Amino acid sequence: MQREVGTLPLAPALRARLAAAGFQTAQELLDTGPGGLSKEIGISREEALEALRVVRQECHGDAARTAGGSGTTRKCTALELLEEEQTQGFIITFCSALDSILGGGVQLTKITEICGAPGVGKTQLCMQLAVDVQIPECFGGVAGEAVFIDTEGSFMVDRVVDIAAACVQHCHLIAEAQQEEEHRKALETFSLENILSHIYYFRCRDYTELLAQVYLLPEFLSEHSKVRLVVIDGIAFPFRHDFEDLSLRTRLLNGLAQQLIIIANDHKSAVVLTNQMTTRIGQSQSTLVPALGESWGHAATVRLIFHWDNSQRLATLYKSPSQKESTIPYHITCHGFRDVQPPAVSHSTAGTELNPRKRPRTEEEKQ
Amino acid sequence: MAAKKLRRAQLSQEMCERLSRYQITTCQDFLCLSLLELMKVTGQSYYEVQKLLCKVSRACAPKMQTAYEMKLRKSVNPSSAFLSTTLHSLDRVLHGGVPCGSLTEITSPPGCGKTQFCIMMSVLATLPVSMGGLDGAVIYIDTESAFSAERLIEIAANRFPTYFDSDEKLLCMTCSIHLYRELTCCSVLKRILSLEEEIISKKVKLIIIDSVASVVRKEFDTKLQGNLAERSNFLTRGASVLKYLAEEFSIPVILTNQITTSLSSGPGIQADLVSPADDLSLSE
Repeated sequence: MQREVGTLPLAPALRARLAAAGFQTAQELLDTGPGGLSKEIGISREEALEALRVVRQECHGDAARTAGGSGTTRKCTALELLEEEQTQGFIITFCSALDSILGGGVQLTKITEICGAPGVGKTQLCMQLAVDVQIPECFGGVAGEAVFIDTEGSFMVDRVVDIAAACVQHCHLIAEAQQEEEHRKALETFSLENILSHIYYFRCRDYTELLAQVYLLPEFLSEHSKVRLVVIDGIAFPFRHDFEDLSLRTRLLNGLAQQLIIIANDHKSAVVLTNQMTTRIGQSQSTLVPALGESWGHAATVRLIFHWDNSQRLATLYKSPSQKESTIPYHITCHGFRDVQPPAVSHSTAGTELNPRKRPRTEEEKQ
Repeated sequence: MAAKKLRRAQLSQEMCERLSRYQITTCQDFLCLSLLELMKVTGQSYYEVQKLLCKVSRACAPKMQTAYEMKLRKSVNPSSAFLSTTLHSLDRVLHGGVPCGSLTEITSPPGCGKTQFCIMMSVLATLPVSMGGLDGAVIYIDTESAFSAERLIEIAANRFPTYFDSDEKLLCMTCSIHLYRELTCCSVLKRILSLEEEIISKKVKLIIIDSVASVVRKEFDTKLQGNLAERSNFLTRGASVLKYLAEEFSIPVILTNQITTSLSSGPGIQADLVSPADDLSLSE
């Protein structure tokens, strides 16, 4: 109630008039009433009423927060957080080496960023995760739905069909081996059709559409409360051209990162972003670094870098608050993202976008 | 979508006039501002501004589709998903041929046959659907002046003698291949930007750009400062427009690239010169 007038979310012109008239706290405004307010600062009675309504709403929110109720500020002990984290599920990637270096899989409520050169498997992992998030709980999944925001146009439905079919098959094998009733029931709803219907796809052609979509995402997620994964495939692509003003770009990216963090926390979903690599020209050599600059590096909680080593694909955990830095090999097979089999099976690939003879990218031409 | 004017986003007239005083006329300008700036510019309270943001976002945001709907749409029309190259082993590896709706890149050292491949694909695209073609026109953007019309006729006559049995048929085929000679990066980009209208008016079913690498190599020396940024700007801009055209009209786009030797710390490795798009890469 003692809140200063300048901090209230009113229109700036109105705030200026209130300050000029000498009002200092919210309590004064409420005491004056709409009639008195309209006479003193020269606005209509309806506007005064509206302003008082906003003030009252704000003050109630404040009171609820200070009384320790649920508000937008979260306050809890580390023990509560620990219990929450331990019961939280992970989204598995079907590559056990990758799951183990991530500490179980892709974490919910965190932002994970995957960087890599083109063709190394970022979109493949995203498609795999969009299927894996839907695995029923009795099989170790989180039973959620997925939102896929595509800026590069590399989403191939046929590939998702392959991956989903392999996943359903895998679950069938588990169910047969364990012969439990709940497994059988879960499998009834875990079909190819269902999996595909629960992947919500948005194709954003430039950064304006991407910004607009992220603004609308909280509303979408409240309507579809089972969504547990938001994938933005290609966060760098729309921001890498037509941007003379780099400070605007940084500002937009930071705003985007903040909104994504809020979405991840409020809706208990994992946010996965893919980034491109760019060349940093040093004194005598050039190195491959993730695109979008240094400040973007702070946005993600967990950072994975995918790269080549001759013809083996490797994933490095570059940044994580709880796991140590390590590198593991992985494979992309016709069933999706998998571990490397001990006798190195160089079979791999299906889908129109993978070339088994593809040469590794070097730093020179990567921009 | 970005250039959509605010008045078409269903904002009130007075709001649009007020915003235009601050030079904010398109949705892009509106969405680039932070919340505080928007409050100042619109003169509204915090909650009102959030409602306005949602309104403007709804005007620009893409439509939602589920993966299932996409699959159904594709399965309704399976034959139009690929342009077969008539090289059986290549088609098998590509699962049908050059895919429609995405960009395909062909890379090789000089003399391997990229331009020949492109000429052959142009002939194939003009064939009727019953013969495996797309029954449409072709836009061929040539930056190296390597396109030879005589070779085109030779390929067509020898490959499909039963179909091209008369001069008239050959003439008809050549009329539907539109050749543009562009020699600078700027003109290539301008041409790409103007393609949308051509595609609709001439019923184009295939776009070939031969080659992106040669113009970029001529104009951008990577050792000079500042060139890298401009080069990548040009490439990503061209790539995004081409992707949009490919997806919007469901046609294949073929780009050719060159090979260069990159001398890094290890032994010289053969690597692609430029990489604007990576949906599919064929290396010969």
